[in-house]
Amino acid sequence: MLNYTLRRLFYMIVTLWLISTVVFVLMKNLPGDPFGEASQKLTAENRKILMEQYGLDKSLPEQYLIYMKSLLKGDLGVSYQFPAHSVTDKIKQAFPASLELGLWAALIAVSVGLLLGIIASLNHNKTPDHAAMVTAVIGVSIPSFVMGPLLSYFVGVKLGWLPPGLWNGPEHRVLPAIALSFGTLAIMARMMRTSMLDVLNQDYIKTAKAKGLSGYAIVVKHTIRNAILPVITVLGPIFVSLITGTLVVEKIFSVPGLGTQFILSITSNDYTMISGLTLFYSSILVVVIFLTDIAYGFIDPRIRLAKGRK
Amino acid sequence: MSDKILEVKDLRVSFSTYAGEVQAVRGVNFDLNKGEVLAIVGESGCGKSVTAQTIMRLIPTPPSVIKQGSSILFDGKVEITKLTNREMERIRGSEMGMIFQDPMTSLNPTMTIGEQIAESLIKHQNMKHKAAIERAVEMLKLVGISNPEGRVKQFPHELSGGMRQRVMIAIALACNPKLLIADEPTTALDVTIQAQIIELMKKLQEKTDASIILITHDLGVVADMAQRVIVMYAGKVVEQGTLDDIFYRAEHPYTWGLLRSVPRLDQNTDEELVPIPGTPPDLFAPPKGCAFAARCPYAMQACLEEDPEHTKLSATHSAACWLLHPDAPKIEKPIEAGGRHHG
Amino acid sequence: MMPVSNDKFKPVVQDTIGREQIVRPSLNYWQDAWRRLKKNKLAMTGLIILVFLTLMSIFMPLFSSHDYATQNYDITNLRPSAEHWFGTDDFGRDLWTRVWWGTRISLFIGVTAALIDLVIGVIYGGISAYYGGRVDNIMQRFIEIIYAIPYLIIAILLIMVLGPGIWSILLAYALTGWVPMARLVRGQLLALKEQEFVMAARTLGASARRIIFRHLIPNSLGVIIVQITFVVPSAIFFEAFLSFIGLGIRPPLASLGSILSDGASVIRFHPHRILIPTAVFSMILLSFNLLGDGLRDALDPKMRK
Repeated sequence: MLNYTLRRLFYMIVTLWLISTVVFVLMKNLPGDPFGEASQKLTAENRKILMEQYGLDKSLPEQYLIYMKSLLKGDLGVSYQFPAHSVTDKIKQAFPASLELGLWAALIAVSVGLLLGIIASLNHNKTPDHAAMVTAVIGVSIPSFVMGPLLSYFVGVKLGWLPPGLWNGPEHRVLPAIALSFGTLAIMARMMRTSMLDVLNQDYIKTAKAKGLSGYAIVVKHTIRNAILPVITVLGPIFVSLITGTLVVEKIFSVPGLGTQFILSITSNDYTMISGLTLFYSSILVVVIFLTDIAYGFIDPRIRLAKGRK
Repeated sequence: MSDKILEVKDLRVSFSTYAGEVQAVRGVNFDLNKGEVLAIVGESGCGKSVTAQTIMRLIPTPPSVIKQGSSILFDGKVEITKLTNREMERIRGSEMGMIFQDPMTSLNPTMTIGEQIAESLIKHQNMKHKAAIERAVEMLKLVGISNPEGRVKQFPHELSGGMRQRVMIAIALACNPKLLIADEPTTALDVTIQAQIIELMKKLQEKTDASIILITHDLGVVADMAQRVIVMYAGKVVEQGTLDDIFYRAEHPYTWGLLRSVPRLDQNTDEELVPIPGTPPDLFAPPKGCAFAARCPYAMQACLEEDPEHTKLSATHSAACWLLHPDAPKIEKPIEAGGRHHG
Repeated sequence: MMPVSNDKFKPVVQDTIGREQIVRPSLNYWQDAWRRLKKNKLAMTGLIILVFLTLMSIFMPLFSSHDYATQNYDITNLRPSAEHWFGTDDFGRDLWTRVWWGTRISLFIGVTAALIDLVIGVIYGGISAYYGGRVDNIMQRFIEIIYAIPYLIIAILLIMVLGPGIWSILLAYALTGWVPMARLVRGQLLALKEQEFVMAARTLGASARRIIFRHLIPNSLGVIIVQITFVVPSAIFFEAFLSFIGLGIRPPLASLGSILSDGASVIRFHPHRILIPTAVFSMILLSFNLLGDGLRDALDPKMRK
C-alpha cells in the first residue's frame, strides 16, 4: 500500500511539473504581443520598462526558473487585462461557485447513477432495466452544453419552475447541477449495471446463495461491494469531466465561477489569466485523480494488503 | 421416522433457452440414506450438477423449470419442489450445504474468510457477531487450517487453493447441515491436495454424521469415499448400486465404458485404455430410445425405439438396459466389469 | 419388464465415425458475431441511422439550392419553411445546408480521430506488449504521465497557439487522445500472449510474424473495433465542446458543435436553431453508442450461444 501510494505521488509530481513546463512553453509561443493593442502606443522606453516589470527582458531559461519559483510560492502573476488584480485573487473569488456546482453535480451523478445501475442490473431485461438504460443513453447523447440550454429554456423560462440562470439562492443550484451531472450520471449507471451483472455471474454469489442468505444481503454485502470496485477506478476521470463540464454550464447559466472566468480570459486574450487558470485546473484534476487512486487502494483489499510486491 | 434423508422421484428439469427447450434432467430417481456417501458419476453435461443444484433450488427459475410430477423429499417430511424462496433460504446453509468446484472463484474477494463463515451462523443460528467469529475459528481448526486465529481475518487471495477449499468446507458445515452436496470438490485441485481434501471430508463425515452427495467424474475419488454410486447419462440414471456392485458387477455398457477408460492398479500395464467413442446426444432433442444407443457397441433394434426401464439386479443394484431383458442375447462382459472378455 | 418381440433384439450396426459429428454447425468467430449483431435490434437501428446520416451529410449539401456560407440579412432567423427546411440563422444562412455541412465536418473529425487512435494507439500498445520487459515498462510509465494530463487543457493551449480550426483540434487529439486505445491493445495482447494457443502455435514452429498477424491481431480486432466505435462520438463531442467555448471551427465553416453553440445563446427567441441541430447531433452520438454496445456484446466470445 505504501509502495503504491508513493508511486502515485511521484507520478503526480512529475505530471504537475510537466504541465507547468508545457504551459510555459506554449505561453511563450502565443501569437501576438503580450501587451495587446496598447503596445502600438508605447514608446520604446515605456516598452522597456514594462518588459522589465513583467520579467520579459530576461533570457528564456531565466524566465523559466523565475516562473517555477513563483509557482511554488503560489504566485500566478497578475492579470493582463485587469492589472490591479492578481490571478490568484481572481481565482479565489471565482472558485467557490465552481466548487459548489461541481460538488452538487458529483453528488447527483454518483448517487442517482449508481442507484439506476443497481436497479437496472437487478431487473435485467425487464422494464426497469430498459427504462434506466434509455435514460442513460439519452444522457450520453445529449451533451451538457445542449442539456443546459434545454433545461434553462423549458424548465426555466417556459415552465418557470426554476430560475433559468444566475446564482443567487438555493433554487439557482438545481438546473445547472442537473445539466452538469446528466452525462456523468449516464456513464455511472451503465458502468454500475455492467459491473453488477458481471459480479452476479460469479461463483461466489452462488456460494452466498447456497448459504441461504436473503436476496437483500446477497445484493448489498456481496454484489454491490464487489461491483463498485471497477466503478471507483473511473471516479478520477469522472471528476475530471465534471470539472471540465463546469466551463460550459457556467457560461449557459451565468454562474460566476472559474469557468466563466476562463472563457472570458480566452476571448480577451488575457494570457496570464489563461495560463494561471490552466495550471490551477490541471492541478486540481491531477490531485483529484491521485486521491481517487489512493481511495481505490484502500478499498480493494488486494491492493491494501500487498506487501510491496509489484 | 424414515432413515432416508433424501428421496428423489422422477425429477425432470428443463431450461428454456432462446434456441428451444433443453432437457437437462429427464426422470431421475434415487434415495440417499442418513449418514451415507452417495457418488453421482457421469460425463460433463449428463445432468449431475443440475440435479444437485436443483436439490438446493439454486438454479434460477426462469430459465430453469422443474417439471410437474418431480418430487424431492427431504428428511422424510419436506417437499423441496413446493417450498417458497423464503422457506428455501432457511434450509440452505442450515440443513443443506454445498461445496463448489473452483475454490479460486467461490469466495468473495472483498470479505474476510471469518466473515464469510460467520454469515451463515449469524443468519441461521442467531449468533452474535463475536460468538460467530469464535465459532468460525473453531471451524477453521476443524478443517485443518493452521493458525486459525490469524487466518480468520485474512482475505481469500491470501490463501492457497487447497486452503480455500477447506474454507469452503468450513462454510458449508458451519451450521451442521444434515446434507452436504460436494460438486466436483477436487477437480480443480492438485492431486496431492485432492487426497488431503478427501481425507478431510471423510473425517468430518464420521464426526458430524452428515449425509453426502459427491458429484464427480473421477472414479478414483468415488472408490475412495463413496458407499453407493449412481451413474448418469444424458439426464437419466443408467445404473445404481453399492461401490462393489458398480466396480465389480456393473451391467450397463456405459458403466463398462467408464471403467475401461480409467487406469487401474490391478490392470496389466500393456493393456490400452479404451475411450468411449462419440459424444453425448443433443439435449434439445433427446433421442427416442436409449440415449446411449448411438455409442453403444451392443445396441439392438429395441434400444433405438424405446428407453429401457430399470431392471432390479439385487436389493442394492439396478440398471436400465435392454440387455438385461430376459429375452436379450447373452453377451460376455468386459474384463473390467468382472467378465473375462476384452472389449 | 414388459415382453418384447424377438426381432427387437437384433443387433444394430453402428457407424461410430458418424457419431463423432458435432451436433450443431459451427460458425467462425466473425460470422457468429455478425449473426449476433443482426439480432440486436437497437444496434442495427443505430447502424442504419448512422449510414443514413452519413449519406445525408455527403449528398444533401450537393443537392441543396442554397450554399452554406451565403449571407442574406433580409431573411435572418427564419423558422423552418418550404424554402428553408431547417430555417435560417443570424446571418440569413440556410440551416439545412449548414447542418449537413456541419455533420460532414463533425463526422470527419470523429473518423480521423479514430484513425489516429488506430495508428498511434495500436502501434504503441502493440510494441509495448510484444516486447514486454523493460521496453514495456518504460513505455507504460510514459503513458501514465501523459494520461494524467487533461487533454482538454492541452487542447485549449495548443489551439491558442496554433489558432482554431480542424487541424489544431486534430493535432491536440493526436498528442494525447490515443492513450486509452494503446492501453487497451496492450492489455489484449498481453493476455493473448499468455494464452495456450500462442504457446501451441510456437510449439508448432510458427514464426513471430505469423503469430502476430494470424493469431494476436485477429483476436484483438474485436476489442479495437468496439473502442473505435466509442472514440468517434467522443471526438465529435470534444470538438463540439471546444466550439462551444469559442475554440472550434471558424466561420463561415460550421461543425455541429459551432451551430449548437450559436443556437444555445438564442434559445429563447429562435429555438429552432438549437433544437434541430440537437436532434441530429444526438442521433449521431446515440447511434454510435448503440452500435458500440451491440458490437461489444456481439464480439464478446464469452457470450457465444
